[in-house]
Amino acid sequence: MAPLLDIRDLSLVFDTFDGTYHAIDKVSLQLKPGEALGLVGETGCGKSVLTRAAFGLVPVPPARITSGSVRLDGRELLGLSDRALRGIRGSEVAMIFQDPMTYLNPVFRVGTQLVDAIRAQSGGRIGKAEAKSIALDMLDKVHLPNPDRQFRAYPHELSGGMRQRVLIAMALAAKPKLLIADEPTTALDVTIQAQILDLMAELVEDLGLAMIMISHDLGVVAQVCSRVAVMYAGKIVEDAPIGRIFDAPAHPYTQGLLAALPHPFKPVDRLASIPGTLPDLLHPPAGCRFAGRCAQAHAACAAPVPLRAVGPQHRVACTLYEDAAPEGAAHV
Amino acid sequence: MSETSDAMLAIRDLKVHFPLANGQVVRAVDGVSLTLRPGETVGLVGESGSGKTTVGKTALRLVPATDGEIRIGELDVLNASGRDLRRLRRKAQIIFQDPHSSLNPRMTIRRAVAEGLILNTSLRGRALREKVSETLIAMGLPPQFHDRFPHELSGGQKQRVCIARALVLDPDLLVLDEPTSALDVSVQAQILGVLKDLRAERPSLTQLFISHNLAVIRFLCQRVAVMYLGKIVEEGPVEQVFSDPRHPYTRALLSAVPVPEAGRRPDRTRLTGDIPSPTAVPKGCAFHTRCPVARKGLCDTTPPPRVAAGGGHAALCHFAGEMQTT
Repeated sequence: MAPLLDIRDLSLVFDTFDGTYHAIDKVSLQLKPGEALGLVGETGCGKSVLTRAAFGLVPVPPARITSGSVRLDGRELLGLSDRALRGIRGSEVAMIFQDPMTYLNPVFRVGTQLVDAIRAQSGGRIGKAEAKSIALDMLDKVHLPNPDRQFRAYPHELSGGMRQRVLIAMALAAKPKLLIADEPTTALDVTIQAQILDLMAELVEDLGLAMIMISHDLGVVAQVCSRVAVMYAGKIVEDAPIGRIFDAPAHPYTQGLLAALPHPFKPVDRLASIPGTLPDLLHPPAGCRFAGRCAQAHAACAAPVPLRAVGPQHRVACTLYEDAAPEGAAHV
Repeated sequence: MSETSDAMLAIRDLKVHFPLANGQVVRAVDGVSLTLRPGETVGLVGESGSGKTTVGKTALRLVPATDGEIRIGELDVLNASGRDLRRLRRKAQIIFQDPHSSLNPRMTIRRAVAEGLILNTSLRGRALREKVSETLIAMGLPPQFHDRFPHELSGGQKQRVCIARALVLDPDLLVLDEPTSALDVSVQAQILGVLKDLRAERPSLTQLFISHNLAVIRFLCQRVAVMYLGKIVEEGPVEQVFSDPRHPYTRALLSAVPVPEAGRRPDRTRLTGDIPSPTAVPKGCAFHTRCPVARKGLCDTTPPPRVAAGGGHAALCHFAGEMQTT
């Protein structure tokens, strides 16, 4: 199947007073229609910047895209005008974020904002009455209790979970092909998080929606996604089906992340921690960016390490697996 | 349950109410009793607005209590004044979620850790310097860090400074309010390791660990108390509560925890709706509005009894005796 989203060799730098900060380095990532991918990594790994840069949401300057291409349904997005990108965002690609309150205007009713968004997404083809019926329909789809009443509510009258449902309704009203969810449940309580994750899993399945869920929490990703890409210091270090990530993590960083997680239902005596800190991305190492913290690093890690296939749909950027697959099998 | 006499921290029927300008009252803590034996690590878990942080702060008298009794050792916390209050400040320490906002940006970390000693002890000069360095090194901060300012440290390092600052006074009681929630998982693992080692290094140190993260509580604590709308609805040994929860809220909370494993979990109890406002706590059992097993005419009128399940495990539920783990 042709990929819905095809990011190839994308590199992005930020020009700062201290020098050039290499935030994203030659990242390639493909997403099939209807696929739910978890993009996982710690603070500063570039997971949010990557997805924003792909859709023209990182301000240039200070950012600069130095190489690569981003294709959505075969159409190149890099270099498109702001106007053309605005037509794609909202209608073909939608995003939801961590803090739903920040993305709702506090002085307008929820319904007004939904109707405005739906009309804008349609490019003005949809009238007010039709937009309202779509909005109510969407509020019902995201299981918001009493859609008629909430339609007239102001954002502050809703709880955090309800606001996130409103934003999901707004994002999906135009029937986008791809949803980017950036830490959508991080600000929510555990029981509410579980409700929202259930809803997202249901919508992905019912609407045949492709999704990239950005999260620092492998447990959250496991509830919704079928595949995981792990990022470290601006690079994807491992990309695998969800089962493989948990049962047979290949990259030492992925292994370290998993060993650092306390488990709610298993007694764990000690947690492994990853020694050291992130490399300085003003002067990134030429080779593996994790080598400085890796117990298994050796001489070969000083040279650039591409992603290589180590199993079905399983790619890893690590010299430990150099011989597992022939060159050129990297982009499957 | 142990008696007050041999307890390090004993909270009896604590109520903390905040009156609002419009005449309503926020019942943040509404009748909490909790006993921590010396050397014990107890987790206090709950969602936002459950009152867990207020319990922790009130225990150190950082928030005034409305009613109830709190004892730290022999000290009557709520009525202490003068010398007793000073002793309390030294003997009971707290660590907060955000280490950055808990450190003075204009103080080196050496100064930050020394300040408590200067205020509370007669240590000065070289002895003071040595004690501070020793404590910082024990927390994994080598000497080259000691003259740095907070902004020159990472989040994990700053949290180590906060722990060092609390421990340098040799407290009997440590309250930890979400100490790892602002940290990345690999850094969280380091801090959790430091805290677990404390149990071996300072066997008499008693810890009240406040968190919304059940996996972290499971890793660190011996006992756990689950809070909902200002009340402890279940408490007991961690293993027992996690494997055989008796309160429907605890069951729902446990089944909502995202587990780092592939495959969706079949045994899901989902709660509908949100936590009610603590200004309008539901009558009867506060949880009945979201409870999957609530019975009309009972749960919405009669406050639930405390049902013991053996081994210090108890739940506040009309049906706690009937709950079976499937």
